[in-house]
This record gives sequence, C-alpha cells and structure tokens, in this order.
Amino acid sequence: MNSRPLLILMLLGSLLTIPRAICSPTEEADNRLKKAVGEVVAIAAHAPDRKTLSEQVKPVLEGILSFETMTRRAIGPGWRQFTPAQQQEATGLFTTLIIRTYTAKFTPGELPVETFKTASTPSPGRVEVPTTSSYNGSSYDVVYRLEESEGWKITDVVIEGVSMIANYRTQFDAEFTQGGANAVIKALNHSLSSSQ
Amino acid sequence: MKNTKLELSVGIFVLLGLAAIAYLTIKFGMGSLMGGDTYMIETRFANAGGVHPGCSVLMSGVTVGRVEGVRMDPSDYSAIVTLRLTSGLHLPTDSMASVKTSGLIGDKYIALSPGADDAFLKPGARITMTESAVDLESLIGKMAFGSVDKEKENQDKGTTNAP
Repeated sequence: MNSRPLLILMLLGSLLTIPRAICSPTEEADNRLKKAVGEVVAIAAHAPDRKTLSEQVKPVLEGILSFETMTRRAIGPGWRQFTPAQQQEATGLFTTLIIRTYTAKFTPGELPVETFKTASTPSPGRVEVPTTSSYNGSSYDVVYRLEESEGWKITDVVIEGVSMIANYRTQFDAEFTQGGANAVIKALNHSLSSSQ
Repeated sequence: MKNTKLELSVGIFVLLGLAAIAYLTIKFGMGSLMGGDTYMIETRFANAGGVHPGCSVLMSGVTVGRVEGVRMDPSDYSAIVTLRLTSGLHLPTDSMASVKTSGLIGDKYIALSPGADDAFLKPGARITMTESAVDLESLIGKMAFGSVDKEKENQDKGTTNAP
C-alpha cells in the first residue's frame, strides 16, 4: 500500500497550521482589527443612510469592541456602586450612544481610508495599533487600544491624542458625584434622545 | 570677649542653616516631603513633551505625587515617565494618566484618573492607558491651513470638472 499521498497531505496540513502558530499576539490583534475595519468599510460602501449603517454595523462592532469594559472604564470608580441591573442598562445605553455617535459622521458615498502603522505591545495582553484615518477630506490620527479577553477586543480609541474613555469618564464622574448611578443613566438617556 | 561670643553665635547660626539645607536636600531627593512613605509606578506615553522630573502628579486637583524621571523606551520609542506617589494612594489597574497643562501656556503636570477595577496597581507597575500631551501647534496648523488631503481632493475635483 502506497502511503505517500497520506504523508504529503499530513505535511501540507502541518504547513498550513504553522503560520497560525507563529503569529505573535501583536500580529493577531492587528489582523483582527484590520478584518473588522474591512467589514465596516464594506458595509459603509453599500449603506444608503445612517440608520441602515447603524443597524448593519452593530453586530460587527459588538464583535470587535468590548462595550462592557468600555462602559465600566468610562464610568470609573462609581461603577462599583451600580447594581447589576444598572450596570446592564448603562452598558446597553453606552453601546447605542457610541454606535450612534460614530455613524452620525457618516456621509453616504464617502468611504474612509484607514492607513495602519506598526502595532506595539505596551504590556502583556495589550496592543496599540496607530492608524491614520482619512474621511471626507480630513485626516485624523487614531490609535486603537486592544486587550485580550475572549479574543482581541478594542477597549479604547484615542483620536488626535484624546482618549474616548478619558473623555467620557470626566463627564460621567461629574454626573455620578451629583446623583449617583441614576444620574449617569439619566445623562445617557438624555444624550441618546438628543442625538436622535 | 564680647566679639568671641558674637562670632560663636554667627558660626552656630551658619552651621544650623547648612544643616537645614542638607536635611531639605535629602528629603527632596527621597520625596519624603509628600508626607510619609512613597512608591513608584511607571506610565507610558506616545509623547511626554514638557514633562520633567519634579512635575506635579494630581488626582482630583490634589497633589498626590511627583514625576521622578523621564526616559525613552528604545523598543518602541515611547516615553516612560516614572511617578513617585504617596503610599496611601491605591490606584485601580484601569486607571488613566494624562499629560495636562495648567492653563494655556502653563506648566505640564500628570493627571491621574482612577478606574473601576477591583485590583490595584502594585509598586513598579505600568499604566498604559494614557493620554499624551496634545500638540496644540499641530491642531492650530490643521485648522489654519487645512488638511493636505482636503486640498488634494479639491484640486482633483477642480481638475475633473475642468472642461
């Protein structure tokens, strides 16, 4: 019995698995981000309006952004005093707010161009991917911060040196100091109703 | 006799003065003037322009430490700023550090913003969630002169629309 075809198949199989095995965490996070950005751009290319874009892009963003971590960090120390129900409600509202805020900048027919630069690993389990994002004739420096927990997910976005988490934390902290968890949820609801 | 007493008093006064200067120098060096024990943590910035040893570290507007040193990490060319903080301050692991300016052209300082994690940063740990110094000149330049991409796009449109 000729076992050569079987051996060739096994060799090919092992060769296919080698690139996956030697892929560093930085490359893995970088590839994950590029794939998600590609998916968003593909959706934006066919979306006729902001509402459709918002609906279609939501599953992709939920896969790449860690909204629970982002909400917790945006609220800051006050998060520990939220009840589980309030934490869930705040996460849902913050998710909608983020998606709505960023799809609000969308102009049908205009596609963003994302230029990826060399990713770095500031500490184990964390990767930063600097990019330049060009959209509607303007160019912005955007840094994506990813962390590994159940796969690589974005936990912060730094636009022109301003962190999204730090920006929201300042606002939510002021609300929390004044009226606790209910005041933060009320502020989130108010932001959502005014952005409609 | 009177002169000898006077000279002796002046000598003791000068010695006391020198001792006080030496004491303060040592205390400043150890960072003990912040009240008791201290510990160090590191922060990583893409741009730490204007930050130098001795800069204040504030949290909620209160001074909680000082910048101990600034160096560059040759592996990724980022700036590593070492902070000396009062030992009573326990920072959650997801705390953030930002380079801020007192007023428009004032001194730079590091602002710490506590996170929500239950675990706390240990001495020697590194904060990687940071905001670098905002480059005002670059932002003003973009506003004043516009983006190169925008100019290019306008030129392309002009070329396309030309008969």
